[in-house]
Amino acid sequence: VSWKRVAIPLAGLPVVALLAYGLTRDATLVPSPLPGRPAPDFAMSALSGDSVRLADLRGQVVLLNFWASWCLPCLQEHPLLVAADERWREQGLRIVGVVYQDSPGNARDWLRERGGEWVHGLDPGSRLAIEYGLFGVPETFFIDRAGVIRYKHVGPLTADVVSTWVTRLLADSSAAAPDTTPSSAQPRSRGAS
Amino acid sequence: VTRAARGAGAKRALVALFLAVGRAGPAVAQAAVPPADSAAPIDSAIARDTALERRTAEIAARLRCPVCQGLSILDSPSELAQNMRRLVRDQLAAGRTPAEIEAYFINSYGEWVLLKPPARGANLTVWLLPGLLLLGGGWVVWVAVRRWVRQGAAGGGGSAGTAVPEAGSPQGGAVAAVLPATLPELQARRDALRRALSELDAELADGELTRENYDLLKRRDETELAAVRAALKQRRAPPAAAARPQPAARPRRRVPPAVMWGGGIVAFGVVAVISLRGSVATRTGDNPMTGIQFGGGDEPAPAIGAPIDAAQLASLEGRVARDSNDYAALLELGHLYLRQQRMQPAAVVSIRAIQLRPRAKESGEGFAHLAMILWSSSDVEPALQAIEQALQLDPNQPEALLYKGIILFAGANDPAGAVSAWERYLEVAPPGAETARVRGMLEAARQQAR
Repeated sequence: VSWKRVAIPLAGLPVVALLAYGLTRDATLVPSPLPGRPAPDFAMSALSGDSVRLADLRGQVVLLNFWASWCLPCLQEHPLLVAADERWREQGLRIVGVVYQDSPGNARDWLRERGGEWVHGLDPGSRLAIEYGLFGVPETFFIDRAGVIRYKHVGPLTADVVSTWVTRLLADSSAAAPDTTPSSAQPRSRGAS
Repeated sequence: VTRAARGAGAKRALVALFLAVGRAGPAVAQAAVPPADSAAPIDSAIARDTALERRTAEIAARLRCPVCQGLSILDSPSELAQNMRRLVRDQLAAGRTPAEIEAYFINSYGEWVLLKPPARGANLTVWLLPGLLLLGGGWVVWVAVRRWVRQGAAGGGGSAGTAVPEAGSPQGGAVAAVLPATLPELQARRDALRRALSELDAELADGELTRENYDLLKRRDETELAAVRAALKQRRAPPAAAARPQPAARPRRRVPPAVMWGGGIVAFGVVAVISLRGSVATRTGDNPMTGIQFGGGDEPAPAIGAPIDAAQLASLEGRVARDSNDYAALLELGHLYLRQQRMQPAAVVSIRAIQLRPRAKESGEGFAHLAMILWSSSDVEPALQAIEQALQLDPNQPEALLYKGIILFAGANDPAGAVSAWERYLEVAPPGAETARVRGMLEAARQQAR
């Protein structure tokens, strides 16, 4: 049997395999280099008028959520954030919203209707968004007690993602948690009451 | 933090500058700036800005816009791309090198953010594959052509033997005697001979046959094949045609698959090299399209308002360079800079114009420019103050009314205020390109005001 009859189709095989593999991938999803790295620090003025600094939140688990009032998926994930805030705040979860390409007025109105009493930073010029490699909203970063980004979620959050990461990071004691560390006697859920 | 603060610093200085002009009044402002006859500060400010602008564009052309498909942040009109361009410009102004700025973006977005990834690691595939394909295709073609030539030489030498054997010739008769009789048998024999011939080639290439044996076997098979073909043709052809003497029909040469493959791969390689070269090339501001522009470069998509006339810009800059007191040129230049989003020089020339004639009706336009500059850095309150200054000088200043509506609508969440500003704008402004856009915005504001 001629080797060419086998070799020529075989040479094409890797190309076809590569293309076939490419079809299974979503080109719009780009792996972020950020997870595993220290979260870039920020100091933003907040919607409420005060300011918020990431360095001040060291020792807490931070859920950094980029959102906008014009963003429909943000609407979808918002109740999850409200519930997470109620449920885990006392155990050391701090949600920080970042208003992305939106006016403070619109953001305030949106929050007034839907709740969300955690701090919301303003990001004029999208500086922080760019530093966090944002593609759009909503995007959420889970930052552990040591200030390291552990996970980045693109798109609306799901209950699974929130509870998995928040409980994992809250339980992670590798970073020295300050005095706010809850004792195990504390109720696990306040949301149920 | 420090980076953001540095960027904000420049804007804060701008606000302070504006407040000095606007609040403290023209007299104080005039005292605070160099005398009117020295063009040098404006000149050097513009020159510095032009160079900065060019360097910004160079870097921006290499960075990928996160919210677009394959566009650089130079080409994209999206808000995020604009903000990224501004960030590049601010970092350049702060003295960072292009490499540092690229590293900053890679740090956030990964290497993905570079439209032309560095040629190392897995990326090398993109650089090497076209070349390898080209070499491979060239090799295949070379081998095929060599074989062709050899076949041609062999065929030429023995054309009498391989051509259709003439009836009556001893060789032809001998072959014809052993030929199968029925059509399907003939076809099967023809296919078998074709297979045998291509296997001969392979066996020669593999060294399993000596040259002499190969030639012998090949000639034998080719002769028989030609006879079989002739017999087939005779059976298929209508009797009349069969009766006519056949012109010496040489066996039809089929394009060998190796040549098809080789040609295809070479063609693919050539297309790939040309288009890849075009698509990874860094574009300049004059040619703001990623990839090759096929079919005559159409005019670029119109930005907001009419496109900037480069000649007009240059002539205005020339007028200001010659005479820094050219009031009309300063105002018009401020307008063009503003449209190009070049806030720093727009502020310089607009403030200059206001200082020259603080109470002139036309200076309202200068204040309107300042308002837009302030608004671009999210300083809503000072921006609205500048608008009020503009409207005090000229209550019907169209630009001031247009910007007032924009700031009230988008910045101060006051759609009702925006509606009245834009309604007034439509009354006083000459109908132009902006009119339709304002009507659209007005409609949106009216709905929101309800």
